[in-house]
Amino acid sequence: MKKKILAIAMTALMVVGVAACGSSSSNSTTDSNSTDTAADTTADGMTGPISVISREEGSGTRGAFVELMGIVDDSDNDITTIDAEITNSTSVMLTTVAGNKQSIGYVSLGSLSDDVKAVKVDGVEASVDDIKNGSYSVSRPFLVAYKDGQLSELAQDYLKYILSADGQAIISENGYISVSDSAEAYTASGLSGKLVLAGSTSVSPVMEKLADAYKALNPDVTIEIQQTGSGAGITSAIEGVCDFGMSSRELKESEAAELKADQIALDGIAVIVNNENPTDDISSENIKNIYLGEVTNWEDVK
Amino acid sequence: MNSNQLKETIMKFVFLIFACFSIVAVIVICAFMFANGFPAMAKIGFGNFLLGTEWRPGQNLFGIFPMIVGSIYVTAGAMIIGVPIGLLCAVFLTFYCPKKLYAFVKPVVGLLAGIPSIVYGFFGLIIIVPIIQNVFGTGGKGVLTASILLGIMILPTIIEVSESSLRAVPKQYFEGSLALGATKERSIFKAVLVGGKSGVMSAVVLGLGRAIGETMAVIMVAGNQPAIPKSVLSGVRTLTSNIVLEMAYAADLHREALIATAVVLFVFILIINICLSMVKRRES
Repeated sequence: MKKKILAIAMTALMVVGVAACGSSSSNSTTDSNSTDTAADTTADGMTGPISVISREEGSGTRGAFVELMGIVDDSDNDITTIDAEITNSTSVMLTTVAGNKQSIGYVSLGSLSDDVKAVKVDGVEASVDDIKNGSYSVSRPFLVAYKDGQLSELAQDYLKYILSADGQAIISENGYISVSDSAEAYTASGLSGKLVLAGSTSVSPVMEKLADAYKALNPDVTIEIQQTGSGAGITSAIEGVCDFGMSSRELKESEAAELKADQIALDGIAVIVNNENPTDDISSENIKNIYLGEVTNWEDVK
Repeated sequence: MNSNQLKETIMKFVFLIFACFSIVAVIVICAFMFANGFPAMAKIGFGNFLLGTEWRPGQNLFGIFPMIVGSIYVTAGAMIIGVPIGLLCAVFLTFYCPKKLYAFVKPVVGLLAGIPSIVYGFFGLIIIVPIIQNVFGTGGKGVLTASILLGIMILPTIIEVSESSLRAVPKQYFEGSLALGATKERSIFKAVLVGGKSGVMSAVVLGLGRAIGETMAVIMVAGNQPAIPKSVLSGVRTLTSNIVLEMAYAADLHREALIATAVVLFVFILIINICLSMVKRRES
């Protein structure tokens, strides 16, 4: 009888302890946040250490971002700070930044969702118009890479569809920039067969829409899209495991020697922060220093 | 030979062949890994590979020391959290649990064992990471988060094996100790647990093996920075995460370096298992 009472008392104590601990710490953090923003007079009002979120090394988004922001050394090697948290796809990047108040990351503009906030870079907003007129400079091409001369008839027809007026219209509707404004219309070929595309997690969302539209016009076709990352997609194309490798960065010299790449769209890279972060505008110099690991606190971002 | 003896011999060969399958599988895995791994380690240099602190494949730097340290920290953390809880839970289930509660708890523990590791990863990402964020004010991913998650994952292994080995200890140990006047707690910890030591050690080593090899759950909660963690709250990358993050797009030397990482992992497990059998042999 005594033991039962003791056991119940201990469990009750543990439950109360966890609940109190959780609620008191979250209360204290919200209290400190509100007093900080009230008393703080820096331009943005964001305080605390910066959580740098990056992509894995084979990511096309990372490759393009690092090159455009100048986060490279003299031999053009990626020198992102070693303290950066690594997320291995576009969606995990979005989830991580949405869940971490101190974080900063980068993601394809077309994949941007309301869970995160895209900041202006050097005062320019990340939008399709600003990329088109060249004022937002952080943009990179979407490419499909394939072995020249080894494409099946179905694959060639699919490529023609993507570059046609219908395909490019789908690209524009989804927040990307089409490559040719005066493309011809596409006529359904009625071919059948299977296509395999593998690669960038940034290209995949719009590629899925293109595939669905193509299948609506040619019902006997199956198209499989694997999201493995730009580097993996290019490797698969070189090995001949897939018909097209999707890449969100330019091909390297060694890759260009083996594959031909056609540009299907232009996409911006948005620099994202958590929705609760009051920062609206960051200079590209600051972004570079954050990713080099030289600026580690939000107060130092002027 | 009459037909019964013939059947016996045939079945003996059939069982022998199936036994050979498993041996052949292990040999093939070992041969593949060492054949691909050692040349890579030689090319990079054993010292540079095992003790190098920079992992930057783009610049041909393949030092896996931070990942070795990461694996060790995370596994040690998982052991610190998982072994006491698991062992004490096994003691409870064997000696203190009322029958009705036992009929409920035992299947639940078995269910824990069957949950896929990626589901544990999501659980960690959605529940444990925000708690760590609120309590410590950091990003939420790191050694502590990974240790807690892995500790929970190895609990069913430790509980089930420990419990069956505790139940297998002859009742005379327990009853004899009680008869000599010891309390129930002292009898359990000084007589039964000592008697079931080898079973409990197997449980711990099984848990250790699972913790060191766990990948998908750890990738989602550990942060994956390829640097030696400076504190319990810093991000960490384990040997297994390293392989998974980069294998899809690795080419040439990079890919061979990842296979060599798998070899290092394999050697770790071999060492742990050899230690266990040495300790067991010394017991008997």
